[in-house]
Amino acid sequence: MNTLIFLRDAFAGRKLATAGFLWLCLIVVAAIIAPLVAPFDPLEIDPVGRLTEPGWPNLFGTDHFGRDTFSRAIYGARMTVIIGVGSVLVALFCGGLIGMISAYFTRLGHFLMRAVDVLMAFPALLMALVLITLLERSVVNTVLVIGIVYATTTARILFGMTLKLKGETFIDAAVCSGAGNSSILFRHILPNLLSPLLVQASFIFAFAQLQAAALDFLGLGLPPEVPSWGNMLSEERIYITRAPWLLIYPGMLIVVSVFSMNLVGDALRDSIDPRFKDDIAGV
Amino acid sequence: MALLEVENLEIAVSTQRNLLPVVQGVSFTVDENETLGIVGESGCGKSLTSLAIMGLLGTSPVRITGGSIHFDGMNLLALSERERRAIMGNRMAMIFQEPMTSLNPVYRIGDQIVENLRQHQNLSHAAARDRSVELLSLVRIPDPSERIDSFPHQMSGGQRQRVMIAMALSCDPKLLIADEPTTALDVTVQKEVLDLMADLQSRMGTAIVLISHDLGVIAETCDKVAVMYRGKIAEAASTADLFAELLHPYTRGLLNSIPVVDRDVEWLEAIPGRVPTLEETLTGCAFQPRCELATELCACEAPQTTQFKPGHSVQCHFAGQDRS
Repeated sequence: MNTLIFLRDAFAGRKLATAGFLWLCLIVVAAIIAPLVAPFDPLEIDPVGRLTEPGWPNLFGTDHFGRDTFSRAIYGARMTVIIGVGSVLVALFCGGLIGMISAYFTRLGHFLMRAVDVLMAFPALLMALVLITLLERSVVNTVLVIGIVYATTTARILFGMTLKLKGETFIDAAVCSGAGNSSILFRHILPNLLSPLLVQASFIFAFAQLQAAALDFLGLGLPPEVPSWGNMLSEERIYITRAPWLLIYPGMLIVVSVFSMNLVGDALRDSIDPRFKDDIAGV
Repeated sequence: MALLEVENLEIAVSTQRNLLPVVQGVSFTVDENETLGIVGESGCGKSLTSLAIMGLLGTSPVRITGGSIHFDGMNLLALSERERRAIMGNRMAMIFQEPMTSLNPVYRIGDQIVENLRQHQNLSHAAARDRSVELLSLVRIPDPSERIDSFPHQMSGGQRQRVMIAMALSCDPKLLIADEPTTALDVTVQKEVLDLMADLQSRMGTAIVLISHDLGVIAETCDKVAVMYRGKIAEAASTADLFAELLHPYTRGLLNSIPVVDRDVEWLEAIPGRVPTLEETLTGCAFQPRCELATELCACEAPQTTQFKPGHSVQCHFAGQDRS
């Protein structure tokens, strides 16, 4: 209930953010009903109709195997959602747990947070590359790797917030009423962290897309047969002069989606941070 | 044996270099149906003493370094985590200074009381809820069956403090520690809260430790008083005895610095100086730099606790003497 009101307030009067939110909804719907809306099988090869221009029936044209780009883009939305949701869950679970436990048990926390600092010293993409070379290319591994990369920032943020909450009187009051450690952490502190977690989730969702697209482009992300926007870019990049639409469409999809996610993230962040509220109008 | 016995309690802050004592040799007892008031300026160790009793000092750099705290015959400092948790909120409870932040903002107040009840008593959710409504009406929250579903931010400060009291009283505690329960409230609400506590005490026989810097509040509600100054009990007596004869110059200073409505004074008398910081090492009496009676003896030698009269103890070389 509270979360609903929070969402409503976050988007009230922000046209661009609302548009972004609707675009994300569209992607999620497309991902769910992909087999129904995609006009062709995304994996179906047609050697005769290679590299056809956008038109009818191939709305976005076909690639160098003659596969329908529009259908592949719709199935790509699936990967977008899976990567996004998966990485968010991994990042929030691992990062959140590490952050909260570190803040609560200070001695263990010193050790854990230093480890997080070390991981944060590496650029996100570099760390993802190192991790992915240790594992093999698969959807699950990509999700795990991106999740772990963003678990570090999540841990930092939740560490700070938990530390602050820990000093609140109502936590002392909970200790006084005889609540145990786990009850204090998960029943008294965690519910207070939901809004920042939501904001963090929306940003990770956006970053995960870029990260996944970058990994795909480098040929280290999702397996090549999986239709994803990053893979489409990667495979068709040599045809950029002959068939630029093969790159323009997936590229646009990535850009618009990431932009939308960032707008949504901004709207959510601003609504929990009163300092941003009235100064920056509009977006 | 008294319900709560604190003996020679020593609390120290550990810094990088050394241990700085913040509470030194504090002893007092509280019986059932009795209210003990602890007064003193900010930073004299009253709150730390209460936190020590509630076991809230835990992992902070502030530690109990000596003495004992017995509650109902049990040594609180030797209890295991599990045993301690069984007592906290159940047989002893605490009311905090800031009603605005003492309730978890994300839960309805009813849920918070229910949780406390179910933690300690074998109640069904429905029974605990009924009991919560009962408790809320006991602390005179209007429309308790409606307000039980309010969030803390929907209530005023006084109401929140009463909710805190309801929560503290939910398991019929034998001991209630109230750390400046009225400081954050305005005067009319203060009176209500204090009356409420007194009323509940007479009904349930709870022992109360009331911590305050307001001598007026203490005079009105407490059976006995301990005046603390820089971690020590400067003077302790029953309320009647204390106000009949103020022995320690600090107590006199505290009383003189209360504004009186019907007396026309230009300047309010204040105790000069401030409480010495922890880093300042003092050889003599801690109050000596601010004391009008101070002599060389006070600067060299810290006064011991002496029984001036039966039941009236004081830590001063010149107890009861005036300026002359």
